[in-house]
Amino acid sequence: MKKIKLDITVNGVKHSLKVDPNLRLLDLLREELDLTGTKEGCGIGECGACTVILDGKAVNSCLILAGQCAGREIVTIEGLSDGEKLHPLQQAFLDHGAVQCGFCTPGMILSAAALLHANPAPTEDEIRVAISGNLCRCTGYTQIVEAVQAAAGKDKGDWWLQI
Amino acid sequence: MIGLSPLRVDGREKVTGAARYGQDLKLAGMLYAKVKHAEYPHAEILKIDTARAKKIKGVAAVLTAADVPGNTAFGAVIVDNQPLAEDRVRYLGDAVAVVAAETAEIAEKAAAAIKVKYRELPAVFDPREALEPGAPEIHEGGNQINHHKTRKGDVAEGFRQADLVIERSYSTQRVDHTYIETEVVVASLDHDGTLTVEGSHQNIFSIRAAVASFLGLPLSRVRIVQAALGGSFGGKDDCMSVLSCRAGLLALKTGRPVMLSNSRESSLIESYKRHPYFLDYKVGVKRDGTLTAMEIKVVADGGAYASMTPFVTWRSVVHATGPYRVPNVKTDIYGAYTNNTYTGAFRGFGSPQITFAYESLMDEIAGELKLEPLEFRMNNILRDGEITATGQKLDHTVSVGQALQAATSAAGWEEKRRRFSEENRTRLLKRGIGLACSYRGVALGAEGVDATGAIVRIQSDGSIDLTTGLVEMGQGLKTVFSQIAAHELGVPVERVQYRRTDTSTIVDGGPTVASRSTIMGGAAVRKAAIAAREKLCAAAAGELGADPAELTAVGEKIMVASDPDRAIDFTGAVALALAAGMNLSSFAWHVSPPIWWDEEAGKGNAYFTYVYACQVAEIEVDPETGKINVLEVWAAHDVGKAINPEAVRGQICGGVATAIGYGTLEEVELVEGVTKTVNLDEYLIPTAMDVGKIHSIILENPDKYGPYGAKCIAEPTAELCAPAIANAVAHAAGKRIRDLPLNLERIVLGHKLVKKQRRAR
Amino acid sequence: MIPFNFIRPASLAEALDFLAENGERTEIIAGGTDLLVELRGIPAGKKGPKWVVDISGLPELKGIREEGEEIIVGSGSTHWEVHTSELIRETAPLLAAASATVGAAQHRNIATIGGNIMNASPAADTVPALIALEASAVLRSREGERVRPLSGIFVKPYQTDAAPGEILTAVRFRRLPAEAKSAFVKLGRRNALAISRMNAAVVLFLRDGVISEARIAPGSATPMPERFAAAEKILIGQKPSEELFRAAGAAVAAEMVDRSGRRWSTPYKEPVIAALTARALREALAG
Repeated sequence: MKKIKLDITVNGVKHSLKVDPNLRLLDLLREELDLTGTKEGCGIGECGACTVILDGKAVNSCLILAGQCAGREIVTIEGLSDGEKLHPLQQAFLDHGAVQCGFCTPGMILSAAALLHANPAPTEDEIRVAISGNLCRCTGYTQIVEAVQAAAGKDKGDWWLQI
Repeated sequence: MIGLSPLRVDGREKVTGAARYGQDLKLAGMLYAKVKHAEYPHAEILKIDTARAKKIKGVAAVLTAADVPGNTAFGAVIVDNQPLAEDRVRYLGDAVAVVAAETAEIAEKAAAAIKVKYRELPAVFDPREALEPGAPEIHEGGNQINHHKTRKGDVAEGFRQADLVIERSYSTQRVDHTYIETEVVVASLDHDGTLTVEGSHQNIFSIRAAVASFLGLPLSRVRIVQAALGGSFGGKDDCMSVLSCRAGLLALKTGRPVMLSNSRESSLIESYKRHPYFLDYKVGVKRDGTLTAMEIKVVADGGAYASMTPFVTWRSVVHATGPYRVPNVKTDIYGAYTNNTYTGAFRGFGSPQITFAYESLMDEIAGELKLEPLEFRMNNILRDGEITATGQKLDHTVSVGQALQAATSAAGWEEKRRRFSEENRTRLLKRGIGLACSYRGVALGAEGVDATGAIVRIQSDGSIDLTTGLVEMGQGLKTVFSQIAAHELGVPVERVQYRRTDTSTIVDGGPTVASRSTIMGGAAVRKAAIAAREKLCAAAAGELGADPAELTAVGEKIMVASDPDRAIDFTGAVALALAAGMNLSSFAWHVSPPIWWDEEAGKGNAYFTYVYACQVAEIEVDPETGKINVLEVWAAHDVGKAINPEAVRGQICGGVATAIGYGTLEEVELVEGVTKTVNLDEYLIPTAMDVGKIHSIILENPDKYGPYGAKCIAEPTAELCAPAIANAVAHAAGKRIRDLPLNLERIVLGHKLVKKQRRAR
Repeated sequence: MIPFNFIRPASLAEALDFLAENGERTEIIAGGTDLLVELRGIPAGKKGPKWVVDISGLPELKGIREEGEEIIVGSGSTHWEVHTSELIRETAPLLAAASATVGAAQHRNIATIGGNIMNASPAADTVPALIALEASAVLRSREGERVRPLSGIFVKPYQTDAAPGEILTAVRFRRLPAEAKSAFVKLGRRNALAISRMNAAVVLFLRDGVISEARIAPGSATPMPERFAAAEKILIGQKPSEELFRAAGAAVAAEMVDRSGRRWSTPYKEPVIAALTARALREALAG
């Protein structure tokens, strides 16, 4: 197994790495870059806890090899807030009681961020479609949907272009 | 502060990804562990050959039951669960050996290299067969784990008085908690010989007891610390003891930190589930709809180990009739060992099964009598001061009628019952609306001693440490407890820091279960905070020229209640107290009011108070494909007092969604002991597109035993929606399904599809 | 995860050269949503592929375009690209509908139509739609290109006749004329993240109120997705009606049992595929 060379941008920071060829993007983020906000819940892309944003789109980082991400841009939950300042979606999740155990939260917020990036004013149905790959066992999704609606209604600055 | 919904105190770390869960822990020199699982559902272990595994480079230890220094088995009620199987495996989730290695890959390879010789034993997978004479014996002394009963009046006489006697059988399935975080621990040895196990723990004290006993260590040298917990729902108890024992043993033998985590596959195979129940109901009723008798027999599948089966089935036996006035009752519930995955606590704890049965049954009886289901229930429900099936006189506000009315009127019940029936004649997709109601004993009840403690420590700068033995698992306990402490001390919630739950910081205050935290733990926090406040008031009294009893704490001030201008600020009062040499740490202990249970007679005052609820489900069902869509749910719950209404709403919505999964989708399929649904592509829980709109209706009838009148909310939310959906399907499509889940095949065929299987291997 | 080597060719030619030499011990990764699940399932110590070759970035496999009457969908097109493509929505709406139902957003953003085909699952969502479109598969190797009817490349569940040196580069089909009627209906256990319990893709052409051509391709009904000629025949020359559609549905069910035999799941699948077919025909007619 020969290591492969990899240049990727994560949360705006460029990294040049040598990694195992069988490394998943999820492992790259968690093990190599210590970005543990991305969670593993099933390993087969069925729970969405490992969701990150790859070139503007939500993806399951357990279903992508690190090598496939060469030259691409990734945003994880750690890259969403601006220092102490929370991303409007993060704030909305707090304000609307959308967080319980919190394990699905990073992936859920990133799926919502990718949605708002593409569609700043989604309907409730569109929100449900966008987060349907993120399983949550605590909330019944109700307050999560409300939080995304509230964030979507926030001032139409360019915050969602950050991803 | 009480009745408001401040932001979650643990919210920020969770929305930023900073919260550290078990899988995020990393210690220097940490090894990774894997288990070697059983290869038969029931077999005698003849030989375990670990030689090849030990030779693999990077393997630090390969251990079996022979290496266990203490007791090989643990159990909160019955000591029968072996983290490493000693001489026999009893289900396919049993472990025969555990490996620690430099990487998880090496550990996995080593586990695969372990060779075990077995003598296969006859197995039994149906709990009813397991109770028959001659069934293969899974534990010494037979397969009956327990038998609970209730007895009231004379059922024979009750049936004689009835105009109609109805007999129905129902069954429920095995389901998984499906917390999104699977189980994980990191065990490490301190230089003073203390073993610390940090991880995804729900019940730190029961886990400590298991680990100490397994390793032959005193309780004081085992420390269980909770990492941020990614969901539990009753599920991270015994299985966490199992992981903690295995990892603790490896840490002890290698002297190095050890991480042991379950993949989703291991979690589905190894961790305990909710009990499948087989329920037979016989009910006597008069033509006017008055219930005269109920005779109930239930068999619960306990799987390979007893776990919480004796307590789960006890809760079932108490509540088996539902919240109805039944003069004659005879209930018998049996828990049975089988060679299936063992079963234990899961949100609801023996209530979702019986609620499905008795609430389906109530609709069926109403149907037989040509009565409306709501009207029929209203005529039979328990009212204030009435006597339950266990002979308990209810001395609080019995609000099941209020809940029924609140949920049905919000749902537009009568109009929809009529309109859907009309419209369905010409529709392909049928609409239906159904309801279910329940009562539920709060806290542990007569399962055992119910007491818990809290420590409030005011620091010199006026910040506050709050410690209890109860854990946050997403339900909002940290926030609610912080609110209570802040309220009593007159400070904002931000001043309160809820300490991580750790067995070394407080005495055993019991488990975080049975929806007991707010009513028990909240009461302890309140007492501790009041005690701390009283000290501040005593310190400030001289300065304010008032009697301490006249003082109160509000708005970060200690003030004369009748004259708010006479006040000193909170930190000033703290300084005064410290200068006077006062101890600003208060510990308080709260014990539940007296209750009793006579197991022989099958009666007693089972719980010190009850909560009441009703849920209405509106669904659409496609009779041609069997697909159900749950469109809307109205959930009315009496919580006594909502200390944090937004958190209450979160509990209601989450519980409803779990019950939608229970009602329509979920089943851990076991065939001859083999788990067929081993990941989340096969074990399906509801997505955001499967859960309709949920309306929370919070009812408040303050209870004399609860802090601020608060009772509970977590579990009753999950016990109602499955029967409400079944009743809605019956309304929509005229099909009565008596077995869970109401999946595609059951709706179309009326029964489950069963695949022919080869013999389990 | 078992060990393997990873290579990411810069061009299709480079990829084909590599496969020509190493095809036997290589797995091709595009979206990876099936392959990574498979690789994860290989137990430690067991042999996996020696190489994984990543074709997800190859520009030659991208793009959805028309060439005369033909629509060409690059095999590297994601389901998201397919279901949001104006061209596909206009010329093959049933394919857009099928792609929209695959997995969840995270899958649709990365999983490709080529992967859906080459995985050869009997429950694939886009394959029945493509078969109803009479699509062809374009397979390339270093030696050249061959174009086969898509329905002909499936050998058995999870296996196509593609040689180890071949890559599916595109699928192509004649655009549906504006007056063609089509639909794709899917039944999953859930409303998202669901494998098709069953599905059905249909295309109808009407002339003077009479069905002149019909194509019916049910999914999850047979080991390999294919058209059901007997049911199609019932429709041709007839005026659309509820009875006719029911009859076609019944014929599909009968044909399914003929081809797949009576299995443990047949008692459920038989009436359901009949209902789904009738529904698809109804939806197609309604537009």
